[in-house]
Amino acid sequence: MSESVLRIDDLSIVYRTARGLVRATSHVSFSLAKGETIALIGESGSGKTTLSLALIRMLPAAAQITSGAIHYTRNGQTRNVLSLSPGDMRAFRWKECAMVFQGAQNAFNPVLRIRQQFADTAAAHGIKDPEVVKARTLELLRLVRLDPQRVYDAYPHEMSGGMKQRALLALGVLLDPQVVILDEPTTALDILTQRAIIDVLNEMQKRLNFSIIFISHDLALAAEMADRVATMYAGEIVELAPVAEMFYRPHHPYTLGLLRSVPKLDQRRDDLVSIPGDPPNLIDPPSGCKFHPRCQFATDHCHQEAPPLVEYTPGHFAACWHTDKVAAARSGFIDLKEVKKDDRS
Amino acid sequence: MATLNPPIRSASSRPPSLTASARLRRLARSYTLRVFAQAVVTVWAVITFTFFLIRLMPGNPVDVYIDFLMNQQNITYEEARARAASQFKFDPDANIFVQYGEYMGRLIQLDLGESITSTGTRVIEQIARFLPWTVFSVGLGLFISFILGVTIGTIMAYLRNSWLDNLFSLLASILGAVPNYIWGLLILIVFGVQLQWFQVGALRGTYNSSLTPGFNLTFLLSVLTHAALPVLVYVLGSIGRWMLNMRNSTIGTLGEDYVSVARARGLPPSRILLAYVGRNAALPMFTLLAIDIGFIIGGSVIIEELFVYKGIGSFLFWSISQRDYTSMQGVFLVITISVVFSNVLADLLYSQLDPRVRVGGGEK
Amino acid sequence: MVSQAAPTHERIIQTAPPRLMEGLLRPLRVFWRALRQNPVGLVGFSGLLCYALLITVGPLLVPFDNIVRLDQIAAPPGSRQVLLTRAEDAARYTTLESLAGRTVGYVRETGGEAFLRDYLRANPDAFQTEDTRWRSGRGVPDAMQALADGEIDALVVFSESVKRFIPHDPATPFTNLVVSNPALGAPHLLGTDTQGRDIFSHIVNGGSALIYTALLAGFFSSLIAVTLGSLAALIGGVVDNVLTSIANFVLTIPGFPLLVVLASLITLNNMVLLAALIGALSWPVLMRAVRSQVLSLRERDYVEAAVALNLGLPHIILREILPNMMSFVAINFIFAVTSAMYQQVGLIFLGMAPINDYTWGVMLYFGRTRGTLFSADSALMVLAPVLAIAFFQVSMVLFARAVEEMFDPRLRTAK
Repeated sequence: MSESVLRIDDLSIVYRTARGLVRATSHVSFSLAKGETIALIGESGSGKTTLSLALIRMLPAAAQITSGAIHYTRNGQTRNVLSLSPGDMRAFRWKECAMVFQGAQNAFNPVLRIRQQFADTAAAHGIKDPEVVKARTLELLRLVRLDPQRVYDAYPHEMSGGMKQRALLALGVLLDPQVVILDEPTTALDILTQRAIIDVLNEMQKRLNFSIIFISHDLALAAEMADRVATMYAGEIVELAPVAEMFYRPHHPYTLGLLRSVPKLDQRRDDLVSIPGDPPNLIDPPSGCKFHPRCQFATDHCHQEAPPLVEYTPGHFAACWHTDKVAAARSGFIDLKEVKKDDRS
Repeated sequence: MATLNPPIRSASSRPPSLTASARLRRLARSYTLRVFAQAVVTVWAVITFTFFLIRLMPGNPVDVYIDFLMNQQNITYEEARARAASQFKFDPDANIFVQYGEYMGRLIQLDLGESITSTGTRVIEQIARFLPWTVFSVGLGLFISFILGVTIGTIMAYLRNSWLDNLFSLLASILGAVPNYIWGLLILIVFGVQLQWFQVGALRGTYNSSLTPGFNLTFLLSVLTHAALPVLVYVLGSIGRWMLNMRNSTIGTLGEDYVSVARARGLPPSRILLAYVGRNAALPMFTLLAIDIGFIIGGSVIIEELFVYKGIGSFLFWSISQRDYTSMQGVFLVITISVVFSNVLADLLYSQLDPRVRVGGGEK
Repeated sequence: MVSQAAPTHERIIQTAPPRLMEGLLRPLRVFWRALRQNPVGLVGFSGLLCYALLITVGPLLVPFDNIVRLDQIAAPPGSRQVLLTRAEDAARYTTLESLAGRTVGYVRETGGEAFLRDYLRANPDAFQTEDTRWRSGRGVPDAMQALADGEIDALVVFSESVKRFIPHDPATPFTNLVVSNPALGAPHLLGTDTQGRDIFSHIVNGGSALIYTALLAGFFSSLIAVTLGSLAALIGGVVDNVLTSIANFVLTIPGFPLLVVLASLITLNNMVLLAALIGALSWPVLMRAVRSQVLSLRERDYVEAAVALNLGLPHIILREILPNMMSFVAINFIFAVTSAMYQQVGLIFLGMAPINDYTWGVMLYFGRTRGTLFSADSALMVLAPVLAIAFFQVSMVLFARAVEEMFDPRLRTAK
């Protein structure tokens, strides 16, 4: 966890719509270390997917990056992804940073065999030797616990959803990228398949040592996968902390709200609290702290001035004027014994 | 890549790839078989339908013909009946089902009877004379309109909602809305008669009759110029449908996940356009192809008559206006069979391009 | 439960009438608002309104011209008979009466002949006539030359012919000839046909039979398609298989050749019969679409409820399913009408459908059989109906596309 492979600096993205500018992400900064997994959590529309699409510059035409830089480092060389030429960008995609979209059901071209789609990807990045590609493909298919011979020649429609998701993971690491973005990789899969995918992912990461940006609504999954967690709200990172810190000692009321809204087995139903109010309007966001209209701790200060992202304890950042009140509130909620000790540092 | 461990070829990899592909091939074969079987049943049904239509219709052609012979040549009913029987090749006293059986028997030997008006000419020979021209002109027209329409439709989808797309959409709607023979008339009147860009009379027929058919440039050029107007009209009449359908299909495909993933995979745009967008968007076009073939061949009756192009369509019209029922029956059968087997061709082409059909079966 | 249900029921009854009115007006208002935002659809809709006016009001205003005027055969568009004189005589010779005792010229086969004959029959000794032969277009300048040279005192000629030679033709400028009476005969907006009849009146009167037949055929086709499609989807099983096979079978038969063959066996002298025949051959595409549509609608709760309540097939089709497919069926109806128009006019053009009404199709037929199509001067006899049919089809399709966009949110957002 030493050198950083990806460093995002002050990234802001807007969408031009008929009703005005939508501020999808505002001043987002964080960095990703080699082999590290960072989870982005937050409601739909909080800017997670926009952020990840920006990393491979696949934002829709209506989107515009208004500020910031994305620094990518490989072998000590650092480049700004946002200033790559179209040709370099094409080479960058998948080779350096692969993105596994949500809904793998349709991620494969239905009229091409799996092997052709692997070969296409390799050929697009200059690897044309069929034997090399075949060997690598079979190996990766085995790594994701698929029957390599069968899947290699199969068409997508001959595979189940879980098989396709695993094949897509294998395709994701085909070119040995340093960063893999996983956008809701397990939605629409049943619970057993989800489990299998997570296991495969962990094993692959151990073997190939890539970094993961993991996007999910599923806090349990995030807790299990991630080294660090970033909470996004209204296009901003409002809290960033090592996974255990985040779940045991949330500093931001929104993170606390998210944690409270997750049902637990031994919890009574009426203890389950959803966050009141609606997601913020991103065209005309609230003044000050964007969360204040929904925040139970909000004061006039929150209304007037946006809180900066401040490091409270080493590695634990939060943007809130009232972390003390949050700390008081969470003590009544989080029972430390309840959460299994995380085995990663 | 180099840092990777070489793959271990596992002995337990169960189904060897050869068996898998062999199984797929067998399935493909069975799909082909099913398509052919359906086509044969359709053809049989059409044959039966026309047979009984012509025999059982009030004022059926046989009776009309007998009447005609009696009046025209002053012969008795029996004589006229015998003449009709020999030309229609049936035994008038036999049960209609026996006649049907004999008719089917002769059909299998490709015997469509003799032409009534030009006695001694076998219908099958006449068909063999006229059919190739229609297959040539209709096929060429369909090919050009398909390729052009699909290409333009793809461009429209990539530039969707631009002024070019709007213009082409409007144009395509207008092209598709106006009947093809109306285009033919417009071209004749405006470019042929008023502007005199070409000699209307000189382009009649299938080739310049002073030339002897053969594989030389003059003859082939003559064939092409004579086919130009019908082909142009077939293209104008159906290109609009290809443009609009391909446009909408491509817009749908561009929104598919696999296209975004292909871009994320860093595939070159040309590869994405052809193998990922184009190929998937074009798939539904092949089911439309089947419908369009029938439509164009049907329309060829008017178009060939309009341009005096001696193909099977104008022969059908000729045989009807001459009340040459044996020819008519034969030509109608051949037209139907060509449409049915064009459909088979389109189906097979489709199945070659879409692996899901080969295995999935007949859902369309 | 019971005590609660009663007042609810009453309230529904009370509010029903205004709701009904609203229910009828609202779709119209929504339709109009959507149409106003769709210029292409608006063009199509306006076109259709024009055609509706043309076939309903048009015949009342412009009666069908069936008077054979051999002197006006192939009169050019916009033409009428005019009186041409030398400039110095312009004030004297303005009417046929004023020409008493003089010599009046005309060009044979182009105009004037029958016109003057009628006049002379009433006034036998009014004036002398002198004719010039048409001779491939040289007739008119020859006659004008005769007028200029003083061989004749006036010339009865088509206004369009005059326009061609005075003063545009530099070779024969005829600068001293003037039109002294521009309105001797009736004007022909689109010229006249091979019998000297006014083409414009034929265009006005020649649409209704075609359009009504096409509408009827579209109706038959939609009716068959909706009925069979719903039955196939709702009953399923063997019925579904049989109906789908029949649809596939009919779809494969090339419809137009079959229609031509049938037309040779049956006398198609009846509009309803022709419409029924066209309808009977063109339902399969819509039927298959309706079938799949109903199959998906069937899964919806309200249809399932109706099935569970055993409300009967007609009720389910008419009350539950059809209202939900109206837009879809309407669009297909429009396309069925255009296709019926194609087939019908095609049949008439070939001469396979009887010629009871003098329709646009018959005009095309005569254009082909009488060869006017191939003559530069008389092409309008074909061009006029060609354009009338083309614009009708275009209006229909543009309107259908607009309706399609209105109802299909996917297309609307794509727009």
